[in-house]
Amino acid sequence: MPRQPEFLGYHRPDGRIGVRNLLLVLSCGGLTGQTARRIAAAIRGAAVITMPYGAGLIGRDETVQLASLCGLAGHPNVGAVLLVGDNARLLAKVATHLTAIGKPHAAFSLDDCDHDALTLTDRGLRAAARLARQISGQQRAPAAVSALCLGLECGRSDPSSGLVANPLTGLIADRLVDAGGQAMIGETLEWMGAEHLLAARARTPDVAVALRDAVRAREGLAVAVGVDLLGNNPGPTNIASGLSSIEEKALGNIAKSGSRMFEGVIGYGESPPAPGLWAMDGAAYSPESLTGFVAAGAQLLLFTTGVGNSYASALAPTIKISANPTSARVLHEQLDFDASQAFLGRATLSDMADALFDEMLDIASGKASWGEILGEGDEVVSRFGPAL
Amino acid sequence: MSMPMTHATVAGADALALQPTDNVATVLRPVAAGERLIVQCQGTRSELTAMQAIPFGHKISRQTLFEGDIVRKYGEAIGHAVAAIDQGMHVHVHNMRSNRAQR
Repeated sequence: MPRQPEFLGYHRPDGRIGVRNLLLVLSCGGLTGQTARRIAAAIRGAAVITMPYGAGLIGRDETVQLASLCGLAGHPNVGAVLLVGDNARLLAKVATHLTAIGKPHAAFSLDDCDHDALTLTDRGLRAAARLARQISGQQRAPAAVSALCLGLECGRSDPSSGLVANPLTGLIADRLVDAGGQAMIGETLEWMGAEHLLAARARTPDVAVALRDAVRAREGLAVAVGVDLLGNNPGPTNIASGLSSIEEKALGNIAKSGSRMFEGVIGYGESPPAPGLWAMDGAAYSPESLTGFVAAGAQLLLFTTGVGNSYASALAPTIKISANPTSARVLHEQLDFDASQAFLGRATLSDMADALFDEMLDIASGKASWGEILGEGDEVVSRFGPAL
Repeated sequence: MSMPMTHATVAGADALALQPTDNVATVLRPVAAGERLIVQCQGTRSELTAMQAIPFGHKISRQTLFEGDIVRKYGEAIGHAVAAIDQGMHVHVHNMRSNRAQR
């Protein structure tokens, strides 16, 4: 039996493995976003995430906000967290979660700081600096690839995405699933026209029903609000590059899920409860979709693009893959993996998959993706309804 | 229909059809009106004349389609023709339309 491939990661007290050891400055409400950015800018290498909403979130939005804050703050790629916010009770809930999983953190509410952003900045920055020093001595150690959870995304797709980059990514998903890891697709709208193919790969009849129901709900939403998907999804860039309908886009899109069975459909930002391939029912826009994967615990994202898309996660290295020969020629500081040789018929998908899997493990072990080098990272949590 | 998982293109082909039932192929380079194209479909190759200029990555009709006919790519329906489409014509949003989320 071949030895399972390994990478070098940070072993966390909760048993998960990080591929980065970030200090995260997390603003848990809309009043402290600039304070969080100011603090993060003063700490070399710090990541910053700002939640622009706060009091007034109700129902599913309130639930998702708390779950997402816990998922992002508790993420395995995060070594320590500075929490700032305007809601002391919300901060306490997130801090309680971080204590439970053994994640170093400090939390400051405006209530603790004379309701003044400058006082919060001063106290927060000093605490963040101490956290940064505390985690700076942590070392990477070997970990099995089965510890990896992969989010699979596409953005600014063109016909090369469905022909090459997405099937290539699907081969990586298959290899990781076969090794005992986790992989997730999202972007429910982009299953439309291909849901029968996904359902045919459902582990149980209930999973097949859930996959079809998720698409039916999105389709019903589009019809109810009178949106013509042509020009929305596929969007103008997709159309200019030759994609003519949501079905055509979806049939290319789902290739990145590979060929293994779907274990289940999970909600937005919800962690897959077991190894294998999962489908996350979520929004199709990349910032929301990626944050859903990251809040769920994905340490790495494979992101295919046709004409190019610089967007990246703040916490999970976002590996950009394109098979479009023109994109590969011009987007040197965006694309982490050039799959154009397979598009041109000069390399097989299987050979390219070997190279991409190696590149993924190198990035997991610390090699920087372009999005990290250029600081493109951001996180955006989906909203579901009106606020009070 | 199983998903095609290994359809990397083959050097020398001008267009790619993914399944034998596909009535459109994707052009792998910009093509000019009147050009003879080699269309790769899995193990076989056929010839097709482009009736119009077609941009890189866009679709060419492999056969004559009538209004209402299903347009097939990946062996699956990607929409329907909303006008007659002759063999060799550009197939895109001007002459085909999604079957989904229509009121």
